[in-house]
Amino acid sequence: MSQTATTDLGRELVPANAQSRKAFQDQAFQILSSRFEGILDPADRWGLTVILPAPKLREAVRFLRDDSEFQMDLLLDVTAIDYLEYPGHEEARYAVVYNLRSQRNAARRLRLKVRVEEESPSVPSIHDLFKIANWQERETWDQYGIVFAGHPDLRRLLNHIEFQGHPLRKDYPARKRQWLSTNDPLVDPMVARLKSNGFTVLEAPTANAPSVEETDLLGKVSREQRNNVEKQS
Amino acid sequence: MGEGAKAAPQTTSIPLTQQPPVAALHQDAGLNQSMVTTSIDALIGWGRKNSLWPFTFGTACCAIEFMALAASKYDLARFGAEFMRFSPRQSDLLIVAGTITYKQAPILRRIWEQMMEPRWVISVGACASTGGFYDCYCTLPGIDEIVPVDVYIAGCPPRPEAYIEALLQLQDKIQDSSYMKDRAAANHQRIQVG
Repeated sequence: MSQTATTDLGRELVPANAQSRKAFQDQAFQILSSRFEGILDPADRWGLTVILPAPKLREAVRFLRDDSEFQMDLLLDVTAIDYLEYPGHEEARYAVVYNLRSQRNAARRLRLKVRVEEESPSVPSIHDLFKIANWQERETWDQYGIVFAGHPDLRRLLNHIEFQGHPLRKDYPARKRQWLSTNDPLVDPMVARLKSNGFTVLEAPTANAPSVEETDLLGKVSREQRNNVEKQS
Repeated sequence: MGEGAKAAPQTTSIPLTQQPPVAALHQDAGLNQSMVTTSIDALIGWGRKNSLWPFTFGTACCAIEFMALAASKYDLARFGAEFMRFSPRQSDLLIVAGTITYKQAPILRRIWEQMMEPRWVISVGACASTGGFYDCYCTLPGIDEIVPVDVYIAGCPPRPEAYIEALLQLQDKIQDSSYMKDRAAANHQRIQVG
């Protein structure tokens, strides 16, 4: 434990071993269970996963981030699990998972899980605690349709604007395809964002996206074109 | 030399040794060696196939292989197609190298529409041709859903030799196409519309 390595950020990183990991996990679970009503997830066989009730989530994340004992200042990922048709699963259909670790001590890493019911899939947003959570929560909403209450800008992140549904849900048809008829509008949001950040936009560039009339032809023209090619050859 | 002068009037009576060398060569060669007869179709096809200007729409590892092709070892310049233009308006060969998602599809289609005719499309690799192993909600199952493809290349990614083979096949296709027929069809259409 006395050996340290300096990270890119100039902080000292204490390397981990099996003993220090075990010690951290015991300590973290003890606090999470006593203060935040956390329960142990037996499915995690390699690390520590604590299932928290949704109302306690923000409090727990804030504690883990700020407490001098933990200093878990890195939110690696926010994602979700759809347990539909999962063998032997009787709890709520979804779970949102937060992967946290510390940049000071390699032993400190844990996973928080919040169960989310199918009827109203919603968990509190932590975008103000970790800036990166903004996009991670957007991605999770995009792919799983889980609403992050209090999120300032819950838009799709990966899928296109005309996409219907949430493709990583297990009941999304695997072979379903959805066409996008136009480019995603990028210029207008960018101009708005520049203005909101205090920049003066002298001349807003005109949108470069094809018109609706143009894109309505998209399927039809290509098929005609293809037929012509076939006739010629 | 009297009858010989009638049969071949372009020859002169001045002995060759007394003439300037260049003039002698020119006169000696005659029309049959300084002219070629051909059809306009063959000539235009020859010109087109040897001066392709590719536009690379590279989105994945196929584009890395394309870089190898353009570099000195495989040297696309040998086939007259070395002049990459990253403006669709200046190019006539669209090389789609990589996975195309539904989000990118309108962009690809628009780039193809911006290209001058005649234009050709090469679909490179499994992803561009069929979607590859991305059999999922976000990936286009082959770019021939949105643009007409002239040559497909198999492989994941294909080797530069496969690119060269595709380019040679495309050159054959361009040589076989008829400029005069296309022009006649366009004129016919214009007359009907007018």
